[in-house]
Amino acid sequence: MSTIAPQFRLSRFIASLFDLIFWVLLIFSLVGLPIVFIILFYIKLPIINGQLMTPYLSMTWMADPSRTLPIVKNFIHTTIFRVMVFPGFGFAALLAAATIFVERKFLAKIQLRVGPLYCGKIEGILQLMGDGFKLMSKEIIIPAKADKPIFWMGPLLFVGAAGAFVSLIPVAPGWVVANPNVGLLAVFAVIGFFPIIAVLTAWAANSKWTFIGGLRALHQMVAFEIPLILSLLGVVILSGSLNLSQIVESQQHFWWITFVPIGAIVFFITIFAELERIPFDLPEAESEIVAGWLTEFSGMMYGLIQLGTYLKLYAFAGLFVVLFLGGWNGPMVWPPFPQDIITNGITIGPVTAKFPGLPLFDQQMLNGTLWFVIKTVGVILLILLPRGVFPRVRMDIALHTGWYKLIGLAFINIFIALGLLYAGVLGPGGLLQ
Amino acid sequence: MVDSVFLALSVITIGAAIVALEVRSLIYGSIALMIALSGVAGFFLLLDAPFVAMFQLSVYVGSIAVLILFTVMLVRRELIFNKVEDKRRRYAGIGLMLALMLGIGTIIIGSGLKSMDTNSPMIDYKKIGEDFLTYYSPALIVMALILASSITGAMTLARREDVIDDQRAD
Repeated sequence: MSTIAPQFRLSRFIASLFDLIFWVLLIFSLVGLPIVFIILFYIKLPIINGQLMTPYLSMTWMADPSRTLPIVKNFIHTTIFRVMVFPGFGFAALLAAATIFVERKFLAKIQLRVGPLYCGKIEGILQLMGDGFKLMSKEIIIPAKADKPIFWMGPLLFVGAAGAFVSLIPVAPGWVVANPNVGLLAVFAVIGFFPIIAVLTAWAANSKWTFIGGLRALHQMVAFEIPLILSLLGVVILSGSLNLSQIVESQQHFWWITFVPIGAIVFFITIFAELERIPFDLPEAESEIVAGWLTEFSGMMYGLIQLGTYLKLYAFAGLFVVLFLGGWNGPMVWPPFPQDIITNGITIGPVTAKFPGLPLFDQQMLNGTLWFVIKTVGVILLILLPRGVFPRVRMDIALHTGWYKLIGLAFINIFIALGLLYAGVLGPGGLLQ
Repeated sequence: MVDSVFLALSVITIGAAIVALEVRSLIYGSIALMIALSGVAGFFLLLDAPFVAMFQLSVYVGSIAVLILFTVMLVRRELIFNKVEDKRRRYAGIGLMLALMLGIGTIIIGSGLKSMDTNSPMIDYKKIGEDFLTYYSPALIVMALILASSITGAMTLARREDVIDDQRAD
């Protein structure tokens, strides 16, 4: 039982929902339907295929799968579907939201706690929804002396930049929102925007905690951006392409992590710094500077920043999978769509329904998505793991790691890749194709 | 389509550049500078040079603008600038700019580059790389030497022997 609302009963809540549904139906049938008919009386309805297009007829057509499935299938291959739903925002936001919940339970299990437990009866599975509603219903407070335009723009720009990053990650063969020829350079360009947004919002909030956090974020991200870029050059040298889809296709037989493991390790460490996660969470060190550059954000502004952070986490994990772990490549485990349904349709008793639009997705794409998601979830769990284990490092150690050690390791990695290329082992025209 | 995008980009770029010069707040000025530099990246995209556009974004917006923001935020404005309103200087600046623009314009018009082929195929970045390693290899070597020497110089300048701290990382 909740301590905040001691009178709360689930049965009464459900009963009130039914009550609401009853009243909505009653008012709709007594007031809404007559209004609809009065309007229909004055509107001239179109004639399609020799039939008057009444509302009933249009509803019948909508319920007919042989008419709607081709429309749905057509919609799936439009750009707007890619941006909004599948490889784009919806898919990434779903994974990001799942990550937030899994992170809390996972860390709790590591540290022998229970984590979210009460909300939703089963292992606190509705906690995330509750947190979302709380963030949406909270008041947005702007500090009195804040620089309001930049302060308002900050969260939006952050989510926008994270969304741009997500849009560059290929999920399955041909399933990517934006597929520029210079995809990896576009990733570098997008990553460069995050420190600017952090330091601008930190300055705009006009508080010393946010400003210290923003400067730390700027220092740290700039320091780790260079090893990040250098560590990925080994893969570019070996695969001979900057296009992320082509890099995935070049890993059909072996993953690049087997040949450039040092680059993978350097990239993995820089991910922590770019995401401001433990052990490099100095920009939002909650025990030192309240919440760092996020201190003054409240309500949905904070929610947007959190959403952007987890979208970024997904995008970095996806980039690691795409560059080092072979992306969507994997053995074909997805079962083929039953041919019976395509040719004969589904027979239930005396009725046979034909579905001309099926299958909606081909087997290649579903299998690729499955492998990509499995690998990405594995990398995300590896990124979450240090938060339960490691302490925070000091600022000078973090910068020293970035500027000296990681850059040195990244150069060693580049020389290994060049050696493999010039020895004729890999690359265009090499022994292993 | 391309014409309207070009016009919009021109308005954004030139407007942001003027704002960057004229606005009182240095932070807003640097933001306007970022917008102007991003607009230049947009021009490169329109010219079918995504490689240069991405480098424009990651180097100029991602690094140089960050450097400017850093400087602006860490240094108090009163220490480096004193406000001297001088009308004559301003008009002289505008006149100088107009003269420069006219000069460059006459050179471009006189150079015979009057029309542009917009249907030429996109230049592959691999071609740029090949050219750098074959025909332009002396230029590449000179660039590499200059960059290496400047990095060495920066590291020498940044290394401070006088600070001895027992708590340092190494």
